[in-house]
Amino acid sequence: MMIFDRIGDFFGIVVSIAADPINLAILFGSVLLGIMFGAMPGLTSTLGVALLTALTYGMDTSLAMVCLLAIYVGGTYGGSYASILINIPGTAAAAATALDGYPLACKGEGGRAIGLTTTSSAIGTSISMLFVVSISPIISHFALQFTSFEFFLLAFFGILISGTLTSPDLVIKGWIAGFLGLFLACVGRDLLQFYPRFTFGYAELDSGVEVVPVLIGAFGIPQIIQVLKDRFAIGETQKLQRIIPEIGMVIRNIPAIVRSALIGVGIGAVPGIGEDIAGWVSYGTAKNTSKNPDNFGKGELKGVLASETANNACVGGAMIPLLNLGIPGSPPAAMLLGALMLHGVQPGPMITFEHPTFIMEVAAILLLASMAMFVAGMLLAKQVVKVLRIPTQIFMPIIGMLCIIGSYSLGLNIFNLYLMLPVGIICYFLTSMGYPIAPLVIGVILGPMADENLRRALMVSQGSFLPIFQRPVSLILFLIIVWTVVSQFDWFRNAKRAALQKILNRKDSCEAALDENESETP
Amino acid sequence: MMDKDKLRKADIFSGSLIVLFGIWVVSQALKMPMKGSWGGVQNVWFVSPALFPLFVGAMITLLGALLMRTALKAVGLAGLRQVLQWMASRELLQYLQTPAILRFYAMLVLFFSYVFLAIPRVDFFACSLLFLMAFISMFYFDDDVLLKKLFFCYLALAAGLLLFFVFKLPQALEGTLPYAGDWLTLICAGVYSLYTWRTVRGTPRLRKKYRLSLILAVAAPFSIGPVFKYFLLVPMPTEGLVVAVMDAIWYWDF
Repeated sequence: MMIFDRIGDFFGIVVSIAADPINLAILFGSVLLGIMFGAMPGLTSTLGVALLTALTYGMDTSLAMVCLLAIYVGGTYGGSYASILINIPGTAAAAATALDGYPLACKGEGGRAIGLTTTSSAIGTSISMLFVVSISPIISHFALQFTSFEFFLLAFFGILISGTLTSPDLVIKGWIAGFLGLFLACVGRDLLQFYPRFTFGYAELDSGVEVVPVLIGAFGIPQIIQVLKDRFAIGETQKLQRIIPEIGMVIRNIPAIVRSALIGVGIGAVPGIGEDIAGWVSYGTAKNTSKNPDNFGKGELKGVLASETANNACVGGAMIPLLNLGIPGSPPAAMLLGALMLHGVQPGPMITFEHPTFIMEVAAILLLASMAMFVAGMLLAKQVVKVLRIPTQIFMPIIGMLCIIGSYSLGLNIFNLYLMLPVGIICYFLTSMGYPIAPLVIGVILGPMADENLRRALMVSQGSFLPIFQRPVSLILFLIIVWTVVSQFDWFRNAKRAALQKILNRKDSCEAALDENESETP
Repeated sequence: MMDKDKLRKADIFSGSLIVLFGIWVVSQALKMPMKGSWGGVQNVWFVSPALFPLFVGAMITLLGALLMRTALKAVGLAGLRQVLQWMASRELLQYLQTPAILRFYAMLVLFFSYVFLAIPRVDFFACSLLFLMAFISMFYFDDDVLLKKLFFCYLALAAGLLLFFVFKLPQALEGTLPYAGDWLTLICAGVYSLYTWRTVRGTPRLRKKYRLSLILAVAAPFSIGPVFKYFLLVPMPTEGLVVAVMDAIWYWDF
């Protein structure tokens, strides 16, 4: 009965959101804006969410969520346009799509490929929405049992895993980025004793660094500098034919779609890892399980289907830890967390008590956004691809101005700009030296949670770390953290290999001895 | 991102900077109350505000050292010597004058002058006009020689604006010329625009780009700014001459 009640509630929320014409207008407008942001190489859905956060500041929370989630969904999907038509991923999430999308466009099947990405992206988002609705209450219930030690370890794990998986170079650099983010989170008066830390006497720093301007600086400024410094130019666009929804292709590949969606949701739920990794893992899995792996990279529709379903399913996956634990699952989700905090919503295990329908609302918006994306993709794709003709040198300065007015408008504080710009420049240097930015951002967001919970936990245990080993969840988290760290070192890998070899040798000698015994037995 | 070999060389320096930064964080954290009384609360080490920064600083130092070790192992002492020699040679100066680095300087100057010099002192629309005009034209023409010329022109104008504010001339002129800083910024935009026109007028392709950059530099702030100011009711960082005119039009009782 409870399940039917929940389904009834869910569709009630869907209808109530869709019945309001303002909601619908904002939904379609934001999806379209997201598609354009995603389609333009150099702009990302994270930046789109960041810039729109400033515009949604005055809206009520529910309308702001419609706006932000729609741009997130649209941006993740929009990246495929540039991947397919010019072989340059509009966003990192669509990088795997370019492998088969562009060859398809070269063969004159660009419309077919975009039709397939539109359909599979909509399905991916819808499947992930199902997970948000069904898994959230379980995780939320489970998280209510967490104590401060678990929250500290969870935050620490989020930063470490994000550093491990997003680092384009050495894993250590990902961890360093995470700890630099934690340092930024230390700035300001501490939450337990109100002691000023690293404020250098500036009253503006007393309340700590503002998250959203730091995020805008970290994602926006390096992007602008990178694109204009390296003279990034958009290549020739392939012709786009009639866009076909490819329903038949989708029906024939339902198992592959479900698998890709599961990969997307799973990867999205891991803290700090974005849609790009989901796309690559799903593409790799589709290739490895295919009967004709040689066709991949030459215009295989299944490759496009796999990466696009997974990267959009990642959106819903990223919402699961964000809403239930307060830990963002991806960089755009980190932006969403910042926006939610601005609107006075504190995601975490208590969200179901403080805002009982909030998770349902998020799921309903995801469903509506996927529908709006499908409609916009099918009807307006030919118009949207025209944005690919706009030179980057024109829109990047305007994005720069938007970053600045956006950072200022959140808090009406010029000091935010003084913070945003240096953070952006430092992040540019870090990016060009192979340091990932996602862990830094996750560090800034999770820092207060880690700091407060560590000290609170030690206060309860009177300075003892023993409870970590006495509580099953914290022990598991601790072991995972230790494993994540030590598995990156050569000495551990060598020791593991040697141990495995020893076990195999022993097994072989045992088998040989058994064979000998059997042959000796009359 | 750089290639692997260059990355490892850069890692030695970034690693050492990170170690120094980590040590600084630890040293600052050690100044925080660990056991004494703060705000009437008797501290113990596990609730001290220093605990978390100490942990973070120690980890940054450790990871920086690990990065340095990894980089040194990959590059070797000979490689390090090579890098140091390169840094002491003229090649470094030549590298700092390459077109890519010049583009980087141009962006730095544009952003810093906009954020630290103009926005806190000049009407938002006036300073955004100058910023966008310079930013779009410098990069849209896609010509390094032109970029250099335009960059130096902008640099001179920004220096002029800086001196104007350093000598507190807006306050001195307040009685005779209200919004003096805004007027000067608009004059700077005009001068920059004229200089750009003189530089590109001989090339039809660039003339077209010049027109477009001018249109966008005017259209962008005047379409984005009013959304924040009049629809989202966000006051601009500095409201001066242009905002006064816009307010007069917006609140005009027809």
